Amino acid sequence: MAKAKLSSTNKSKESIEEIQANFEREGYICNSHIATAIYLSQALEKPILVEGPPGVGKTELAKATSTWMKKPLIRLQCYEGLDEAKALYEWKYGKQLLYTQVLKDKLNDIISDTIGLEESLESLHDFDDIFFSEKFLEPRPLLKAINSNEGSVLLIDEIDKSDDEFEAFLLEILSDYQVSVPEIGTISGKVRPVVFLTSNNTREIGDALKRRCLHLYIPFPDSTLEEKIIISRVPELDKKLRMHLVSFVQNLRELDLKKVPSVSETIDWGKSLVLLNIKTLDPVIVRETLNVLLKFQSDIDTADSEIEALVRVSLNETK
Amino acid sequence: MVDFLRDFIKVLRASDVRISTSETIDAMNVASVVGLEDKILLKESLSQSLAKSLREKEIFEECYENFFKESYMNFSSPDDKKDDNFNDANKDIDSELDQDIFPGEEDLESMYNESDRTALMSSMALASREVGLSQIRLFTQTGMFTRKIFEFMGLEKLNNDIFQASREGNLERENDLKELRERIRLEIRDYVEQQVKLRTSQSGRQLREEALSQVRLSQVDRSDLAIMINIVRKMAKRLVSLHSRRKKKANRGQLDVRSTLRANQGYDGLLFETVWKKTKVNRPKVITLCDVSGSVANVARFFLMFLYSLSEVLPHIRTFAFSNKAGEVTDLFETKDIEEASAETLLLYGGGSTDYGQALIDLEGFIETEIDKKTTLIILGDARSNFGDPRADILKSLQEKSKRVIFLNPEPKGLWGTGDSEMKRFLPYCGKARYCSSLKDLERVVDDLLRMAF
Ligand SMILES: Nc1ncnc2c1ncn2[C@@H]1O[C@H](COP(=O)(O)OP(=O)(O)OP(=O)(O)O)[C@@H](O)[C@H]1O
Ligand SMILES: [Mg+2]
Repeated sequence: MAKAKLSSTNKSKESIEEIQANFEREGYICNSHIATAIYLSQALEKPILVEGPPGVGKTELAKATSTWMKKPLIRLQCYEGLDEAKALYEWKYGKQLLYTQVLKDKLNDIISDTIGLEESLESLHDFDDIFFSEKFLEPRPLLKAINSNEGSVLLIDEIDKSDDEFEAFLLEILSDYQVSVPEIGTISGKVRPVVFLTSNNTREIGDALKRRCLHLYIPFPDSTLEEKIIISRVPELDKKLRMHLVSFVQNLRELDLKKVPSVSETIDWGKSLVLLNIKTLDPVIVRETLNVLLKFQSDIDTADSEIEALVRVSLNETK
Repeated sequence: MVDFLRDFIKVLRASDVRISTSETIDAMNVASVVGLEDKILLKESLSQSLAKSLREKEIFEECYENFFKESYMNFSSPDDKKDDNFNDANKDIDSELDQDIFPGEEDLESMYNESDRTALMSSMALASREVGLSQIRLFTQTGMFTRKIFEFMGLEKLNNDIFQASREGNLERENDLKELRERIRLEIRDYVEQQVKLRTSQSGRQLREEALSQVRLSQVDRSDLAIMINIVRKMAKRLVSLHSRRKKKANRGQLDVRSTLRANQGYDGLLFETVWKKTKVNRPKVITLCDVSGSVANVARFFLMFLYSLSEVLPHIRTFAFSNKAGEVTDLFETKDIEEASAETLLLYGGGSTDYGQALIDLEGFIETEIDKKTTLIILGDARSNFGDPRADILKSLQEKSKRVIFLNPEPKGLWGTGDSEMKRFLPYCGKARYCSSLKDLERVVDDLLRMAF
């Protein structure tokens, strides 16, 4: 019994470490929590709902998974008013129209070829069936992801921006991974997609949807993790400067800001410093480049008086 | 494992984490995928399947830590044993284990005396499961569950042994066994209390406060400190308002008819000046001596916090702390805020090995000239003096000089005088001696004290 348990735990740990290592190779740096979520979502075949502040790599996680699994990434960006037609499928009206035109031209031939009225109606009916066939169907992201035989990574990004109705609709899709088109029938693929939903928490996601998902919260990275991300994304940045920069940003996040800098802003700042050929962090440089980190003037004003102190602290912390 | 998850999910639900049946199934699947060996991996995995918002994750975190700290980690076997329940092939080992620690069979006495804590705790855990302790929700059920668990663990045999010893006239053995019974009872009660605490954690602050105010102070968790401090404040406020009302009423006094007439003689019987009888205000003088050694530290801390939150109605308190040498900490409390001062007191005087004799000698030196018939002396401690001379004679002389001596002991009466407890020798010189181990007890004691003062 001890052996059986040992192997399930150890097997899991191995797989999780492997995922972590693979992601790192692809340039996505994550901790074991994130890798655990990926592992569990595969084992249980469940979607992951990823929440966290902006810019901590929620979207990036889906991309990294797609690269790692060598499956296409299918992204559905949510917005207010997003509906089935945009998310699932649409009829190709243009093509249908064109087809009607052709049909009209052919109509006389068809009718003249046939003998009675009944027979001609019968022939028309056959055309009707073609009219609403998959040939005239325009698949949108959800249908694409479901109707796939090789599998895919489906990213339903910023679900909190869509409205409740759409959420309810999504619920159906995520419970049976098949779509029924009244005119055609049920469509489903051979391999279920790996599903990510992300949310910035602008509104609370419904319980029903949450129940169907594993829930991963990605907080801002700690300094060790953030440094690793910078190493991967801005490798040309000098080691010492990188440490100072990360420590500065970490401390900056403690201030009372409207929008705290995210990982992507740390990355951008690192890149700017490389471009400007900066070697050490000092208050003057920070002031000149602060707009890379902070997007609101009021935040820049708030930070301004603290800059000397923050720089001093970061230099000391990383000694 | 199914058991442990079911219990844990109950705890989560009681703490306001909403968990559906489908999520329960997810959690089981998750646990069987990642196994149970790695608690950190298990925690993260369960969190992802059960806690679905940042808030819920925070609650989850707290519950998980408590749950494993308090009910599973402690026992080496039940945890593993429960894992095996999952696996039918292991039923044999399972029942073997069950037998090993089957309650009632194992002799409580030897279990305790051989300080076989694992066995005792296992037996307790098993009994708890048997009597459905996980259903406990209300603090008032503590006593009932404690008794049920005790009975399941073999109380009857112990009682019989006590009875036997008493019939044989073997007084020493009888007392030993009685002490043992008391200690085990306390142990069970602590465990049950922890469970209530756990189960009310986060669910309804009021219920929690209620529960915490009755929990033994020595059992209080660091994480609850903030709430406890809050409770102390509330209680103190209540007492202050209660007693300042009494004080005002007492001070107003009555019209002194005779003096009024006398004062107004010159005005031909017309009463221009009224003279009021003055009630003499008895500002109580309180001197406290607190044992702040490890076993009592927490109680002392809250006691002091309490007293000093009452400065409106109890303005003059001198405080001395000791574990062996006693020293005055009045200044600390007068210059710093209460929490800081009590923390510092523990730092300065805590940690030594307790010596009541020395402490009383020191105290006498400090207060000799001040102590008088208006002074109330409060001693807080467990009276465990490591077998040194407790110098009860000093207490006697202090008692003679003072208005009253009150002894507050966080140990229940059943343990007074057992082992190195000198309580029995102090008792003759205490006007009052009280068992005092929870905030509720403290409140009652302080309330009494204030009543006597006015
Ligand atoms: N762990 C990481 N490893 C590598 N790069 C990262 C990581 N986290 C974030 N980044 C970088 O930060 C950028 C922003 O990440 P991403 O767009 O995924 O954030 P998000 O959480 O989806 O933000 P939003 O909520 O605004 O959509 C990415 O382009 C990526 O370069
Ligand atoms: Mg995004």
